[in-house]
Amino acid sequence: MTNHESQLKLQAFMDGELSVREAAEVREWLAQDAEAHALLSELRNTTAALKGNEPQCRLPETREFFWSKIEREIERQGAQPMRPRPVAAGSLLAWLRRHLMPAVGVAAVCSALVFIAVRSHGPQLRIGEMALVSDDMGSYTYRDQADKMTMVWLYDRSSADSQVADSSDIDNVTTE
Amino acid sequence: MQPVKPMKSKPDHSSASDEQLVEAAKNGDMGAFEELVARHRDKIYARAYSMMRNEDEALDLSQEAWVKSWQRLKQFQGESSFGTWMTRIVINLCLDQLRRRKRQRTESIEEMDEESGGVERQMPVVTANPTERLERGELRKKIDHALGQLSHEHRTVLVLHEFEEMEYKEIARTMGCSIGTVMSRLFYARRKMAALLASLKTED
Repeated sequence: MTNHESQLKLQAFMDGELSVREAAEVREWLAQDAEAHALLSELRNTTAALKGNEPQCRLPETREFFWSKIEREIERQGAQPMRPRPVAAGSLLAWLRRHLMPAVGVAAVCSALVFIAVRSHGPQLRIGEMALVSDDMGSYTYRDQADKMTMVWLYDRSSADSQVADSSDIDNVTTE
Repeated sequence: MQPVKPMKSKPDHSSASDEQLVEAAKNGDMGAFEELVARHRDKIYARAYSMMRNEDEALDLSQEAWVKSWQRLKQFQGESSFGTWMTRIVINLCLDQLRRRKRQRTESIEEMDEESGGVERQMPVVTANPTERLERGELRKKIDHALGQLSHEHRTVLVLHEFEEMEYKEIARTMGCSIGTVMSRLFYARRKMAALLASLKTED
């Protein structure tokens, strides 16, 4: 009976987790094996001792105090905004820091790259790929072959209002 | 003389059923929800304590369970009782906490031994019933003491099976392990409990 699988089967028999056929097999086995019978008795005694005798304990705080903590937490979590709040005048500096500074940074990097390229290649300029350093920024590029001019529009992806049509939102870099 | 207007008083929820309170709470009635908390707070805390064996953690987790239940109340369809639904929430939170704790600690040889059964496999069978003729209060005290000496894995499976009356399949789903692991853990937990209860009787 030392087989671990058999021991687990015995337990499953006690817990009513076996099929009718398997349960009949275990009954037959129990009738012949005193050791299995003793183990089953031990398992049954333990289960019987636990049933309905779960240790009792009470919440060590008063109803009012416990509720006040829950209520406060619900209010705190409920107060969190679902959408980004509109920009308030007081937080204009934060908005500028968040949106304008990356744009200025990207524009400066692009300008520097273009400037270096122009200086080193002269009029036969071929501008390669340029990577935007911020995920918040998007760009549109226009190349005028006749005038040998490339224009790069940078815009803020995170702003729903960022449309290329609005020229006031565009930082552009041109080269000739 | 103007008629006296009746004072607006807080509605009394104490006589309402859990189902009525849940419906009211779903419609945003915090008073109804408070009554539910008052009715079930001890049970929820006790379940958290039985799994964590730490008063502060049990308090934090039971509080978190109540906040979560408020947020998810609309998902409660009444397929089980409110108390059972709440208990499942706190059990899941405790299991998450135990998993986080397990990831943080280095597994010792002792823990690995415990997971695979260790010495319980060879333990002699306890022939006499060690809890016979014990008063209920005394028995509960001994059970509490013995539960405190089990590993988290063994205690959890025992709590879910014996106190929450879950089947093997449900325990496996809740704990995120196989039915075989549940059976194995339950077997060792019971054997260890038998030995602990027997030794506690001997000590007395």
